[in-house]
Amino acid sequence: MGSLFLRRLGFSIFALLIVSLLLFVLTRSIPDSPARIVLGDEATDAQIAEFDREHGLDLPIVAQYGIWLETLALTGDFGRSFTTSLEMNEQIADTFPVTMEIVFIAFIVATIVSVALGALSAFYRDSVVDYAARLIAVLGVSIPGFWLALILILAFAVERSWFPPGGYTSISEGLVPHLRSIALPCFCLSIFYLAVITRMTRSSLLEVLNQDYMRTARASGLSGRRYLVYAMRNALLPVVTIAGVSFGHMFGWALIIEQIFNIGGMSRALLTAINQRDYFMVQTVVMMFTIVFVLANLVADMINAWLNPRLAAAS
Amino acid sequence: MNRVRRFVGAFGGPAGLAGACIVAALLLAAVFAPLIAPYDPLAVSILDKLLPPDDVFLLGTDQSGRDILSRVIWGARASLTVSGSAVVIGVICGVSIGMFATYVRGGWLEQAIMRVLEAVSAIPLLIWAIALVGIFGVRDAEIGPFTVSSEFKLLALLGLLYIPTLARLTYISALGEAKQSYVAARRLQGVGEFRILFSDVLPNCLSPVIVQATLLLAIGIIVEAAVSFVGLGIQPPTPSWGNMLASARTYLISGEWWLSVFPGAAISLTVIGFNLLGDGLRDRFDPRHSTSMSYAT
Repeated sequence: MGSLFLRRLGFSIFALLIVSLLLFVLTRSIPDSPARIVLGDEATDAQIAEFDREHGLDLPIVAQYGIWLETLALTGDFGRSFTTSLEMNEQIADTFPVTMEIVFIAFIVATIVSVALGALSAFYRDSVVDYAARLIAVLGVSIPGFWLALILILAFAVERSWFPPGGYTSISEGLVPHLRSIALPCFCLSIFYLAVITRMTRSSLLEVLNQDYMRTARASGLSGRRYLVYAMRNALLPVVTIAGVSFGHMFGWALIIEQIFNIGGMSRALLTAINQRDYFMVQTVVMMFTIVFVLANLVADMINAWLNPRLAAAS
Repeated sequence: MNRVRRFVGAFGGPAGLAGACIVAALLLAAVFAPLIAPYDPLAVSILDKLLPPDDVFLLGTDQSGRDILSRVIWGARASLTVSGSAVVIGVICGVSIGMFATYVRGGWLEQAIMRVLEAVSAIPLLIWAIALVGIFGVRDAEIGPFTVSSEFKLLALLGLLYIPTLARLTYISALGEAKQSYVAARRLQGVGEFRILFSDVLPNCLSPVIVQATLLLAIGIIVEAAVSFVGLGIQPPTPSWGNMLASARTYLISGEWWLSVFPGAAISLTVIGFNLLGDGLRDRFDPRHSTSMSYAT
């Protein structure tokens, strides 16, 4: 297990290096330079050159990348924007926890509900529960979360004022107002992945229940709860993998959901940065999302290795 | 009877057939939008603004008095163009890279290509699409004699982001095919490796790519709508389902529901269509792996 962990970790770091280099090159290859944005159209070439020298923008891209990476790796410092001079780490500290909370709650709810629903649907195949689960699975992957959000705002915030139509109430202003302000965003974010994971749990469990070893288990007297646990343990493998991928993707969709509900998380940071043409900030935010994405996959791999020792042995 | 069954079977069952019908209807709407749409989607008429659905405007009118039905039909054209062209770019590049990796298999180059592709798969699609469209600008750009529109930038970026998935899929299935005995037989006939790969192996490993491409079409529709929704994709006044939803947001609070309900319903219907078709094709081509991994975007 240790060696599997090291190998996966090594690959994750390699992936982050490749992807961050790509991102770095892309954000540096835009038509208008940061110096031009800050100093305006009247700036002379000498002033531009001075600005570039000051911020290290006159170095080759690979050298700039090296410096950025070294600072990040040694001190955990994402640096300071060329255009707004904002400290990136402060920006992340302000916005990341908001997004993280919404994604995390949505993820936990989606995972618990969908694994339970998928399991019931497979164990009681062709029952009412099964049909309901399959219907949810088809609808959930087809209804875009941002449209659902608009409909739910119309139904539960405009027509009846059960929830606020938008905004984020911090937990310091009371638990109930806080939960009310994030209930709809979390629901809209979770429904797609709830459908995906339900579907995956159902089909994976159906496949396991058809295996010879499950018949053997039943024949040798395993029954009730232990039979369920035995089946689930074998069926969870692809479910965990897809849950890991889902967590990363949920971060992406949180961007749209936050935008609809007017919540000041990472989405506001990213869209503000795009509007201000602050490409350093864009790069930082996208990098954070990518790190979360890669970490979520790594955690999923580790849970799988723990659930299924054969995987660890095979490496 | 038999002929009917075979026809339904071609789409992997009744659900797949239903998906194919939805997709066909949308394609017709997109291609013949100028003939089908009852009004000009851009015709502003302040006197008719914000009318609820009635006999004249079947789905109502928006804040500028434009007919929503006509805009939804023209929106199909925009959405399908972006999503479809992105998939075409992704398939052409992805299949070429996948086949090239198969061609150089056994060497360091194969390892290098596959490791990089695997690393690049760690890119969250939606975030990168939004950030890159944002970085490269939503305004039209002039590159030499060509005008590059924001739609084109969006679809090109989406296509590039599809490449890793499709290249790996092609590689895995081509590698499996290359071990089959018919490949060895062709080699004994003295046919060159390159020709075997393209005329014998490639046609045999296209079915998973077709299935994946269908599901990517659904993903592309959603991503285009999301990117346009935050104001970075297809720019108004050109109607797209995403930018229609974005401008409808303001009117939701005041109760003008038809502005947001119909474009959203169009997105959902399209996505259902592509998903059903994709699942049906998967059941037909590859019944063993009917478990879908490809929905998560």
